Amino acid sequence: MMHPNPSTLALYAGQDLSWFARRRTERHLVRCSECSGEVQAFAAAHRDLVGLNELPALSWNRLSGEMKANIRLGVAAGECVRGAPTAGVLGWLGIMSATRTMAACAGLMALVAAGLFLERPRPATVPAIVPSVAGENAVLRATAGGIELNQGGQTLSLLHVRSADVTYLAGAQGSMRAGYVDSDTGNVTINNLYVQ
Amino acid sequence: MSSKFAILFLAGITALCAQDAPLDSSVKINLPADSPLTLISTDLGESHVSQRGSAVVLDLDVALTLHNSSPNRVRGVTLLVAAQEATPGGKASVSVPSLDVAPNQNFPVRINLRLLRPAQMGGGPLVQVNLDGVLFQDYSFYGPNRLDSRRTMTAWEMQAQRDRKYFKSILAARGIEGLKQAMLESLNRQAERPRLDVQVSRGRAVASSAVADHTARFAFLRFPDEPVEPVEGWAEIAGNEARNPRIDVRNLSSRQVRSVEIDWIVSDRQGKRYMAGSVPASGPEFNLKAGSTSRVLQDTALRFSHLSKDGGAPLSVTGMTGFVGQVEFADGKVWIPNRESLANAQLLGILEPSPEEQRLLDMYRKKGPKALADELNKF
Repeated sequence: MMHPNPSTLALYAGQDLSWFARRRTERHLVRCSECSGEVQAFAAAHRDLVGLNELPALSWNRLSGEMKANIRLGVAAGECVRGAPTAGVLGWLGIMSATRTMAACAGLMALVAAGLFLERPRPATVPAIVPSVAGENAVLRATAGGIELNQGGQTLSLLHVRSADVTYLAGAQGSMRAGYVDSDTGNVTINNLYVQ
Repeated sequence: MSSKFAILFLAGITALCAQDAPLDSSVKINLPADSPLTLISTDLGESHVSQRGSAVVLDLDVALTLHNSSPNRVRGVTLLVAAQEATPGGKASVSVPSLDVAPNQNFPVRINLRLLRPAQMGGGPLVQVNLDGVLFQDYSFYGPNRLDSRRTMTAWEMQAQRDRKYFKSILAARGIEGLKQAMLESLNRQAERPRLDVQVSRGRAVASSAVADHTARFAFLRFPDEPVEPVEGWAEIAGNEARNPRIDVRNLSSRQVRSVEIDWIVSDRQGKRYMAGSVPASGPEFNLKAGSTSRVLQDTALRFSHLSKDGGAPLSVTGMTGFVGQVEFADGKVWIPNRESLANAQLLGILEPSPEEQRLLDMYRKKGPKALADELNKF
């Protein structure tokens, strides 16, 4: 069986596929539990990635603008203090002397370092998925391949990979049940998720 | 577009970084020393742990082989699956009802689980599997019963006996052709049963959601032999969300009741009825002595949508119906509605089939009416 590539599954999970591609992928997912599982994983991770939007926004345009401005300022300052062309090959080429080149590079590096220090990207040590906080809202839902508990961006799923005919029942005390006949064992299996 | 790039970024990271790792000690199976079941083997099959970005994904495909070392026939087993480190407020269970395992026989239990958690969390087993309960043919029970699995499995076993009796009576009265007809009717009911996508929320969102549109009252279906009657009930409705159901029930029997489960049906604008869920009440705070009245209440929110792969449209709840689905007495005995009552109330086309009916239907589909008749005659 030909499987869609991961990008297609990821786009499907994000509901970003075209109509035709979506229909084609859906047809495949109906008969492929492996890809269905992948789609669920992408969908779950996608929800978690929403948290990334909460990271402090980096003002890349501002950073770029400041760096360009500083470079232009350095070049202009160099033009102001430049004397007569030096003798030798470098002078003949109209390029600064080695000493001046080193000084300019050092200045440029200092500017870049200062820019990065002032607008440094925050390291992604706060991932999209963080340990749950007590009292965080918990949601139980049925997905294409199972039932899922999502709490604080973490998910616990019980899957029914060996059956397509599944019954679900929600419990108002905070539970979700999926019942099916396992095609391998022939036994009825009932998965339950509970949230307290 | 941002979501598209985020997904593509994730796909790229997955392709580059996903590295399957062996499970090592990620799963631990615990059975008590005095358990009537012993663990014969644990096959982790294609289980694996993989890294996806900053998260760890555990895909668990466990095939357990258990041995009935008791002198009784096993009718059901419930295993508690705990991943407390990752989901502190959540737990899971896998139950296998409708068993008929003789003493000294082995039987399989499959667990398929996926756990997504941060990579930087501590070590130790990611998932622990514990025995919560075993139900035997004589309704005796073994286990810590943390999930109230004694009541649940007893009710399933009673449903199994009820439904087998029903199909056996058809077999006796109308033979194989009658049984075949009954199976086809049941299959049609399951195919046509209106289904909903239900999402259950507890915690902060339940308290902070939008203000309820109105409070809707339950209408109740009554059964002639019910030991507990629903008196009145209501829930807050906000669009497609029903919150905080409260139902007053009266004990009509002469025995003390330990728990009650009210089944909950919702209707849409077209009057179509859907099984929404159940509202159970149990525990020490729920004390229903003979003749007394008590309240079944749950602080939760159920959100209903039409079933669709792309996320169905919200369902506007215009009516609610309840009926007593299960009663457990203080002595551990359980009452369930009989099949005739369910048929008279036109509930068979709305309720999910019992686990036993699911098993019998599966057997009919795969092996035919003759094999099903043989199976029914075993009991």
